[in-house]
Amino acid sequence: MESDIDDHSPLTVAVPQSLSSDDVESLLTGENIWNRSDPIPFEHVIGNSPEDLSNSARFSCCLLPSDPGREWLGSLIRLNSDNFIECFDGMDLGDLCPIIGSDPKSKHHLLVCLSTRSAYHLPVARKFVTALRHRGLIKEATAPAVEMAVQEAFANSLIHGNLALTTSGRLSMDRFNELGDETKKRLASTTYGDRAIVLTAKKRKNGHIVISINDQGAGFTPREETDETTMPGQESTFGRGLPLIKSLCHSVTFARGGRTIKLTFDQIESDVLSADPAFIREFEAQGSIDAALRTPQNATILIADDTMLSREIIASYLRSDGFTNLVFAKDGEDALSQAKAHNPDLIILDIIMPKLDGYEVCKALRADPLFAETPIIAQTALEENEGRTRIFDDGATDLILKPLNKAELIARTKIHLENRLLVKQLRAYRERTQSELDLARDMQENLNPAPEQYRGTGFDYGMRISATFQMSSELGGDMWGLVPIDAQRLGVYIVDFAGHGLGAALNTFRLHSLIWSDQIRDPDPGAYLSNLNRHLKGLLPIGQYATMLYGIIDRNKTTFSYASAACTSPLLGDSTTGAARYLDGSGVPLGVIRDARYETREVPFDQNSFLLLYSDALIETTLDDGQFLSEEKLLSMVHETVMESGSDVDLAAQIADQFMDRAPVQLSDDFTVVSLQSTNGADGFTARDEPQ
Amino acid sequence: MNYNTEQTDKTTTVELTGRFTFGDHSNFRKLIEEMRAHQSETHVLDVTGIEFIDSAGLGMLLLARDEGEKARATVILRGAQGQVKRMLEVARFDTLFKLED
Repeated sequence: MESDIDDHSPLTVAVPQSLSSDDVESLLTGENIWNRSDPIPFEHVIGNSPEDLSNSARFSCCLLPSDPGREWLGSLIRLNSDNFIECFDGMDLGDLCPIIGSDPKSKHHLLVCLSTRSAYHLPVARKFVTALRHRGLIKEATAPAVEMAVQEAFANSLIHGNLALTTSGRLSMDRFNELGDETKKRLASTTYGDRAIVLTAKKRKNGHIVISINDQGAGFTPREETDETTMPGQESTFGRGLPLIKSLCHSVTFARGGRTIKLTFDQIESDVLSADPAFIREFEAQGSIDAALRTPQNATILIADDTMLSREIIASYLRSDGFTNLVFAKDGEDALSQAKAHNPDLIILDIIMPKLDGYEVCKALRADPLFAETPIIAQTALEENEGRTRIFDDGATDLILKPLNKAELIARTKIHLENRLLVKQLRAYRERTQSELDLARDMQENLNPAPEQYRGTGFDYGMRISATFQMSSELGGDMWGLVPIDAQRLGVYIVDFAGHGLGAALNTFRLHSLIWSDQIRDPDPGAYLSNLNRHLKGLLPIGQYATMLYGIIDRNKTTFSYASAACTSPLLGDSTTGAARYLDGSGVPLGVIRDARYETREVPFDQNSFLLLYSDALIETTLDDGQFLSEEKLLSMVHETVMESGSDVDLAAQIADQFMDRAPVQLSDDFTVVSLQSTNGADGFTARDEPQ
Repeated sequence: MNYNTEQTDKTTTVELTGRFTFGDHSNFRKLIEEMRAHQSETHVLDVTGIEFIDSAGLGMLLLARDEGEKARATVILRGAQGQVKRMLEVARFDTLFKLED
């Protein structure tokens, strides 16, 4: 599936714990997925849920358990892999193999393979599109259209293809009910339910994104379109999504006898730089190479003009002012090859030239990332406005009129070279700062416990602990942690420093050392925060403050006692009913007044309880409906998640996944969600030995 | 998709929330049965809380309308926003339903 197969290096495969090693073995070594006869060596990394698997590791493939649920579907965003394949009984990919398969030409940027049975109940289109957004393959602005088209195409392939249900004609309530019953039957059957559906996405060089949806049904012949722009009104809209799909895509094509539908999306490249990571890498590599700072006089200047006399005049003007690194081109094609050979700092370009004219040269240069920012001064005798506008449209930086005026030519040359130099210096500076910031980011992320740590700690206290932390584009001020006090009591804290950037990050480090120093040992949360505040107030400049919650879960007394310094209101709920309520999070922020007092509040926390702590990014980020996540919506989101899976779920991860579906990729503030959920009551697979 | 029904006098208001897509057969079926039982003169389907609808979801709205007509009730769609609003426009639902903001 990727070139890494061909060099026989072992594949790293993420494997859910629930899969038997025999199944994994036979899936990976057989010819089922990769239709290769020679076995591919592979290594497993096993996780009980996606949260256990490192999100910094690169996986060649991520296997999903049979009936993966929302939890494993979330791995599309959480894990660094391009391939997600459900491992289910009765899986027979047949001619879907080549799509996943080893043909390097079919290399895709994202692939998801699911059984019909699982796919039917999951928001696959939504998650697929979120994953494309997070991989930078589609822009935020195009995402809604892509999601609508993928949803329709996916539903068609699933319902008409794999489930072979017919929904044409006018739909009555009786017919609808029959259809529902038939759907249930077919999902349960091996004939239909075991069929696979494969979604792939691939970005073309021209920026188009191609999404294919492949099923194992009987195929479909696109009907002769008579009216493809209007949606049916009175008729049933089931399975009539094709006109809608067509209206949302650049083009739609079919393959494999109608069992593959390919949707091509044309992305308007309004922001070229953020479009393609490979492009940015190339671009930045270039920037650092000639960041070796040159003075304007050392600059290489390319003079492209078809008459020798003109070239000589320009050269003599420039030489007289100290510019000696001059390169010449005698026509348009020559200009391009000279540019490539010498990578000039500035180009003086004639418009009327043989072979390629100046307009074409300009366009060609600008299309190449190497020359995206090279100043181009176009020289022309054209007086008319049209030509002048056109050359700017094609990418010229400036225009100079023939016959040339020496002083003007030199002035313009200098200005553009100096601009370029400044930009380069700035970029070099920014890169240096950036690498230092990256280091700081890593350090800051390490202030938070790693999954294997908090999983283990949670287990010791009979709790399932889940956490999701995402830093904003800059450094931020969020932090959380666990403080084991004794066998029965576990402390937990969550902190958010005001603002973000370097200042907030440094303060986070300060606070972290305070928390983990031995200076503050108060067993009571209120007294603890009061003491912490006194220490912090001495360290923080005026105007900097933090919000924090510190609490202790006591398994013996079955309580959660906590104190809050203006933290977001924690959610306390019950795993058996899914009901939750907000606790009081009020209190003076840390670092504001020296003698702030914090009240210790106590609530029951038993074997059915769960606790959700979060930073304000969860409730203060504008979601796709233009609104924040309201208190009621968060409550119902928690309720639904708990009702669906009880305590056998990574609650914080689930909440974060649903949030990510609807939030922009780049968050403007740090995002932290932590859940602590008792496992004693609901299914009791841990902490049986806990003394009561 | 989830829903809540409320009946006042001669109006049944159904608040729909979440994603309303092809997999929502059984919830929708229950909803229709509840609406039948209410025998109201007006059915308000409040879709303010629907964040995403596909063409199958639109189909189910049409069914709700048919059911309403059978019971000689007026069916009103209320509060469509964002993607839902766009889908209703594409499908020209303004010609089929009474739409309210």
